Amino acid sequence: MLAALAWRNLWRRPQRTILSLISIALVTALLVFMLSFQNGVYGVLKEATLRIFDGYAQLQPAGWADDPTLDRAIERPVALVRQAEALRGVSAAAPRVNAFAILAHGARSYGAAVVGVDPARERQVSSIASTIRSGRYLTPGDSDAAILGETLARNLDLAVGGEVTVLGEARDGSVAADVLHVVGLYRSGVPDLDRSILEMPLARAQGVFGMEGAANTIAVGGPSLATVDGAIPALRTLGHRAGLSVRDWAVLEPALSEGIELKYTVAMLFYATLVVVVAFIILNTLLMSVLERTREFGMLLALGMRPGQIGAMVWIELLGLALLGCLFGLLLGGGATLWLQHEGVVVPIDPRLLAQFALPARLYPTLTPLSALFGPVSLLAAIIVGGVAPYLRVIGLTPALAMRAP
Amino acid sequence: MGARLSAMIAAGFVAAGLAAAVAAPGLARAAPDADTILRKAYDNYRSQSSQSAVAMTIHRPAWERHLDLKAWTRGEDDALVRFTAPSKDAGSATLKLGRDTWVYNPRLNQVIKLPASMMSQSWMGSDFSYDDLAKSTGIITDYTHRLVGSSQSGGHAVWTIEATPKPGAPVVWGKVSLAVRDDYVILEETFFDQDMKPARRMNTGKVGLVGGRPYPVSMTMSPLDQPGQWTRTDTADARFNAALPPWLFTLSNLQNPR
Repeated sequence: MLAALAWRNLWRRPQRTILSLISIALVTALLVFMLSFQNGVYGVLKEATLRIFDGYAQLQPAGWADDPTLDRAIERPVALVRQAEALRGVSAAAPRVNAFAILAHGARSYGAAVVGVDPARERQVSSIASTIRSGRYLTPGDSDAAILGETLARNLDLAVGGEVTVLGEARDGSVAADVLHVVGLYRSGVPDLDRSILEMPLARAQGVFGMEGAANTIAVGGPSLATVDGAIPALRTLGHRAGLSVRDWAVLEPALSEGIELKYTVAMLFYATLVVVVAFIILNTLLMSVLERTREFGMLLALGMRPGQIGAMVWIELLGLALLGCLFGLLLGGGATLWLQHEGVVVPIDPRLLAQFALPARLYPTLTPLSALFGPVSLLAAIIVGGVAPYLRVIGLTPALAMRAP
Repeated sequence: MGARLSAMIAAGFVAAGLAAAVAAPGLARAAPDADTILRKAYDNYRSQSSQSAVAMTIHRPAWERHLDLKAWTRGEDDALVRFTAPSKDAGSATLKLGRDTWVYNPRLNQVIKLPASMMSQSWMGSDFSYDDLAKSTGIITDYTHRLVGSSQSGGHAVWTIEATPKPGAPVVWGKVSLAVRDDYVILEETFFDQDMKPARRMNTGKVGLVGGRPYPVSMTMSPLDQPGQWTRTDTADARFNAALPPWLFTLSNLQNPR
C-alpha cells in the first residue's frame, strides 16, 4: 500500500521526477563510463609498458631482485619453460641470461646489460622485436648476432653490420669475451632501455658466460595481462617447486603500479564529490516536496496514518527515484561503454607518437563488474542514507500544526 | 682501498728503510699523528718501481679459483698486471696509466678502454674493483685522518686510525678505519658505507720479509654482506726500485708483450 502511494506521489509532479531521474541517470552513466575508460586506459598502459621488456610476470631465482648475479640461476630452464607455457593464461615463457658487460667498438666502450634470449619466445613476451628501426630482430638460427638500442649503438658508433666486442665476467669468475655482429637496432621509446640493453642468442650467451644451459630469469607472456595475472598462483606453485620466486607486474614495475593507484585515488575523490553533490540535489528536491506537502501529511495523520508510515512512504519515494535513475544510468552508461568497447575511442594524439610508446591510436574502455556497479551503488547508498533527513522531518509532525501549515 | 691493492700487487716498500730509521729500535715509540702514520704506511708501498709475482685466490660459496699474476708499478699511478695462470685467463692484462685503465683480452686480441661506469665493477671476478686499482692515493688525499686508539700486539704497537671523507670528495665510502703496525704495515682496513655500516674488510694474514722489509705477504679482502666470499693475495716474490723500461707501461706492450 505504501509503495503504491509512494509511486503515485512521484508522478503527481512528473516534471520534477523526470528531471531528478535524468540527473541521477546521467551521473550514474558518467561514473560507469569513466571508471571503465580508466580501467581500459590503465590496462593498455600496463600491458604496453610490461610488454616492452619485463613481460607480464617473471620467474626469478631467490634473491635475484636484490642481487642479480649470474650465480643466481635457473638450472633447468627448458623443462620449466614448457611447464609454464602449458598453464592456462600463459602463451609464452622466455628464458633469459642476464649478464652485465663492457661493450666496445674501436676506441669506444660502454657498460651495458647483455641479455641472452630465445628469439622465437622473446618475440612473444617483449615488443623490442617490433621496435627494430634498422636491420632485423634475432632469428632462431642466429649465432654471433646481436641487436642493441639505437642510443647504445650511437654511443658506440655502431651500425647494422658492425662488430661489437663483449667483455665481462662468466659465472665461474673467468673472463667472458665475445665478438658479435650487429644485425639490428631497436628504439623501444624507453630511453633507459635504448641505451643499456644488447640482446644476443641464448645458447651463445650461455656459452660465453659459462651458464651451461642455465638461465637467470624467465619472462612470462600471455594473451593479456589479466590472463597472466590469473595464472600467477599456478606459476607460484611451479616456481616454488624449482626454488624460484614469481614477480607479478606490480613488483616488476612498482612506479607504474603506484602511479596507477594514485590516479585511481584522485579519480575516486572526484567521483565521490560527484556522488555527494548529486545526492544533495536529489535530497533537496525531495525535502522541498516534503515541505510543500506538510498540510497533506497533517491530513493523513488526522486520518489515522502513523508518522512512521508517512516517513516510510517518503523514503520509498526516494528509493524508487534512486533505483529507477540508477537503473537507467547503468543501462545508458553500460550500453555506451559496451559500444565504445567495440568501436574504440580515438585519442586526439598523433598516432605515430602513441606508436612510439607502443600505445594504440584507439583506446577501449573495459566494463568490469566493479566499474559498472561502483557508480550506481554508491549513489544509491548516498541517497538512501541522506533520506534520513526528510524522514526525520516527517515523523516530527503533529496533525494540528501540520494542517495549519501554509 | 686502492693503495692496498697497488701495494699488494706492487709490493712497493720503497721507504721501508726510512721508516725503520725513523722508528729505530730502542727509541720510545710515541705515536705520531694520524696523517703521518698513514702517509708513511702508504709511502712504503709506493716505490719508484716494483715488480712482483702474486697468487690470487678468489673464494665463493660454490667455487674457488686460483690465479697467478705478475705486476709492475711505476710511481704512484702506473701499473701493469698480467695474468699467467690458469690457462683460461693467461694473457689477460690490465694497464693503468694515471686515471685511465685498459684491459687486454688474448682471446679477442683486443685492448679495451674501461668506461668510467665500469670502474666499480669487479676486477677479474675478484672482490677488488677496477677503482681499487686506479685510486691508489685516495685514502691520503680525499680523507681526513684521526688517531683513535693504540694497542700492543706481538711486540708491536698497533695504531687505529679513522679516515672520514673530506666534504665533497669523490669517494664511495662513509668512513674507513685502519689498523697500522708501528713498522708501518697496515694490518686491517675496514670500509664503511654511507650508512656507516661496515661493508668490506681487508685483513693482513701474514707479515713477512720481502726484499728485506716487513711486508703484508698475505692479504684477504672480504665483502661483509656476502658471507663465504673473499679474495686473498699472496705475494710470492717482489723486487723494488729496479729500473723498469718505459715501454713496459704502454698500450702496445699491453697487447703485444715483449
